[in-house]
Amino acid sequence: MKFKSLVLSTAIALVTLPAVAEDLVLSIGSRGYGPAVERNIESWSAANPEVSIKWNKVSDVPGDTRKLYVTSMSAKSPSPDIFAIDVIWAGEFAARGWLQPLDGLLSQKTIEQFNPALLSAATLNGSVHALPLYTDGIHFFYRSDLLKKYGLEVPKTWEDVLAASKTIVEGEGNPQFNGLVSMWAKIEGLFMNWLAFTNGNGGGFFDANGEVAVNSPENIKATQFMVDLLHKHRLAPDSILNSRPDDARTLFQQGRAAFLMVQDFVHGPLSAEDSPVAGKFDFARVPYFEGNETAGSTTMGGWFLGINPNSQNKEAAAEFLTYFAGYEQQLAAAVEDSRAPTIPSVYEDKAMMSAEVLAKFGKNFDFGVVRPSATTGSNYPKVSETMQLAISSALNQRESVEDALNDAQSKIIAILEN
Amino acid sequence: MSKTAPSIERKRQKTGMAFITPTLLIITAILVYPILQSVVLSFGESSIDGSVPYKFVGFKHYFALLQTERFWNALTVTVIFTAISIPLELILGIGLALLLNEHFRFKGIARLAVLFPWALPTALNTLMWRWMYNTDYGVFNAVALQSGLADRPINWLGDDVLAMGAMVTVAVWKTSSFMALIILAGLQSIPRDLYEAGRMDGMSRWQEFREITLPLLKGPILVALIVRSMDALRTFELPFNLTDGGPVTATESLSLYAYKVIFDFVEFNFGAAIVVVQFLVIFAMSLIYIFTLRNKD
Amino acid sequence: MQLRPRFGLYALVTVSVLVSFLPIIWLILTSLKTTAGIYAWPPQYIPDPFTLDNYINIIQNSPELLIYVWNSFVVGFGTTVFTLVFGSMAGYALSRLGMRRAGILMIFILAVSMFPPVSLIPSLFQNFLQFGLLNTYIGLIIAHTGLFLPFAVWMLASYFATLPVEIEEAARMDGMGTFRIFRSIVIPLSWPGFVATGLIVFIFSWNEFPLALVLMTENAMRTAPVGISLYPGEYAFPWETISTATVIAIIPILMITAIFQKQIVGGLTAGASK
Repeated sequence: MKFKSLVLSTAIALVTLPAVAEDLVLSIGSRGYGPAVERNIESWSAANPEVSIKWNKVSDVPGDTRKLYVTSMSAKSPSPDIFAIDVIWAGEFAARGWLQPLDGLLSQKTIEQFNPALLSAATLNGSVHALPLYTDGIHFFYRSDLLKKYGLEVPKTWEDVLAASKTIVEGEGNPQFNGLVSMWAKIEGLFMNWLAFTNGNGGGFFDANGEVAVNSPENIKATQFMVDLLHKHRLAPDSILNSRPDDARTLFQQGRAAFLMVQDFVHGPLSAEDSPVAGKFDFARVPYFEGNETAGSTTMGGWFLGINPNSQNKEAAAEFLTYFAGYEQQLAAAVEDSRAPTIPSVYEDKAMMSAEVLAKFGKNFDFGVVRPSATTGSNYPKVSETMQLAISSALNQRESVEDALNDAQSKIIAILEN
Repeated sequence: MSKTAPSIERKRQKTGMAFITPTLLIITAILVYPILQSVVLSFGESSIDGSVPYKFVGFKHYFALLQTERFWNALTVTVIFTAISIPLELILGIGLALLLNEHFRFKGIARLAVLFPWALPTALNTLMWRWMYNTDYGVFNAVALQSGLADRPINWLGDDVLAMGAMVTVAVWKTSSFMALIILAGLQSIPRDLYEAGRMDGMSRWQEFREITLPLLKGPILVALIVRSMDALRTFELPFNLTDGGPVTATESLSLYAYKVIFDFVEFNFGAAIVVVQFLVIFAMSLIYIFTLRNKD
Repeated sequence: MQLRPRFGLYALVTVSVLVSFLPIIWLILTSLKTTAGIYAWPPQYIPDPFTLDNYINIIQNSPELLIYVWNSFVVGFGTTVFTLVFGSMAGYALSRLGMRRAGILMIFILAVSMFPPVSLIPSLFQNFLQFGLLNTYIGLIIAHTGLFLPFAVWMLASYFATLPVEIEEAARMDGMGTFRIFRSIVIPLSWPGFVATGLIVFIFSWNEFPLALVLMTENAMRTAPVGISLYPGEYAFPWETISTATVIAIIPILMITAIFQKQIVGGLTAGASK
């Protein structure tokens, strides 16, 4: 009988793999931190055979992983024990009680090695809730061969970028060649871009007193510059408004743009052997507007490691965390996989001599700008969304820059008061 | 008869209950219970983990929703998307079905090919389309530019109308075949002699189609319309992967908006209200279909 | 005389097939290019150089892909069987046993399937956690069964409704019980309908993403679409790997669809023509 045999064979197929209880479950993507994950687990397991670790690979696409974490944490799932989070979730997850405060679990000495600016992104009520694992930021990539061809200096200010772009685009005379490409689709990357531009003009999300000042004159001017770059000077492709980071990278790699403004990750593919721009590009800090040389302009990103407050094995998790994010492991990840360390002293290590590119990234991080995720806590997703909408509608010329930012200002104040 | 009939009837009802019980149990666990939980959530303030005790707030979230511009935008986008793509899918589906109902060589392969878009995961084929649509390095613009059909790249996903068009295209491409499949099935069950009678009466092919084929296809068309409209009104992966809901919010569907509220803003209560309203819209639409198509019989 | 319409017919068929296949052809071509070839401008219409490296790389470096495909297969198969068994019983009861309130039950079953699935996730996860169903085949199978049962009930019910009543009545006269009639008469008679519904449910289950993502959190238990979503980086989207993984993951679907294509159409015929 077909019916019976089907049921029977299903029953056989359903015999699941025996569930082996692990002492610790680590949830992190396989690309973001690269081979370091496997290396660290292996070396730690060799030294601590009594505690077994299971690596649960998750997606490196933040949206997918976030969905998983929001679901697991709001259901108080005890697994994973240790999990990697985007820097912008740290403040929010801490505020929601989804991260174990680390004060009692880790020694003060351990915590103090980390870059305090990065730690502040995961600090709530004076206690640290997660450790920064690696960091990245937006850099300004340029075609060194083209600058040389037209006798141009590496642009330092946005005014320089404008002039240089005009020269190169006109000189190349190719309608498919662009000045600047970047990620201006309505994504988190757009807000990062905006923070780079506005901070470079002495503005930013907050004013000097720490009040929300989205519609400050400096911000309006910088945002207007973005709009003009696209619509008035036509130095960016129309498609920039729906570009994600890899779209921008692809255009630059095809040799169709003079400047590219995205995160560290592009350095690998751009310098790959078969890349058309290999050896023809370099990078610098993101430009600033004239007269703002000391202003920050490198919007920072990165990933943290935290402990699940519902974990059954917090002490072991804390030990593993200390090891995983520790000095030696960060040094190895820096030298071997080009992941930027979050412990400042790692940059001073002799072994770092070979990691030239990383050292240069590190210099740009001195001009780092952090997103307001720690300050706005659990409201950050809404704040970021409001900003993305406002910037996007200004760039799409749905409304004037001033209207868009005024509107965002009042909305954000309402969100934060709530 | 008079004595046994009620007992047979009772036994039948009992067997019937036994037959549907497993289905009802599974549906209750997987669908009904979470739905009820959503409905309860939508009328209160709470957190799903119970750290904030549930407090009944009545229609508060619903009133707030009706005053949210973004909700109306998402509703409009969803309705427009559905209203354009469903008729196109239906027309193309009927066309494809008529075509595949003809006799020709390699019919099996042709049917397989036409069915295939529907068998691919939406998320992946949407990313594929996004790549092909890319303004600067996508294959569509490459062909358009190289063949001289366009003299400058078309910004497919960067313009309100084009982005909606792009979305509709992917939906129609993917699901016309599903419609065709269901309609093809209906076509095959129409007795041949009806057509022969029609031919005797000197009907043209168009008359044949309108007076014989179409009325008999009402059943399959109803099933196809309900299934597809349900999906279109819940479309999520398509805008999520193709346009991010942009430019600005020009292609942000209701599901995408609900997803943001639930998983980005972590507002389960407000999110539940959106979903409940969305459900009512879908339910109302199904009833309209059922009544307009059934009553004309 | 006959030549022209035939020519038009073949032309239309060719166009439909091409349009349907175009994106997939592009996907397959992409998987056969080198990384430089994929990002070349103007695009390469024919891979140059043609390479199988992407396939070799993926099989060597991420053997998990085969586990993901296997998991999808187990879940899809289990879901199909559960759905067919329970769905056919319910469909039979509601269409043939003269049950009271059958119409309302049918509408109810359809209505609950209209709820946007994204909102079911938090609640389902919590229940699955409580009952230890996370990261088990049976858990995801039950979830998918619940998701697709309404469709199956409707399809199969309308299919059963087309069977001639006389056969069942004759069997009943012979003293056969309802379950035996169902098992030894109704199921064999409507086998094509089972195949068609089963195949559609299998494809639904194979492609389902949100529940598979959340209910299978362990790497070894992931299904193919979720597994493939692990290939992109936070910012980078390596088409060379993703196109290849996608092609590998759709081969089983393609084969199954090819094998059962005839039955699908045959089965739907009766099902939808109510």
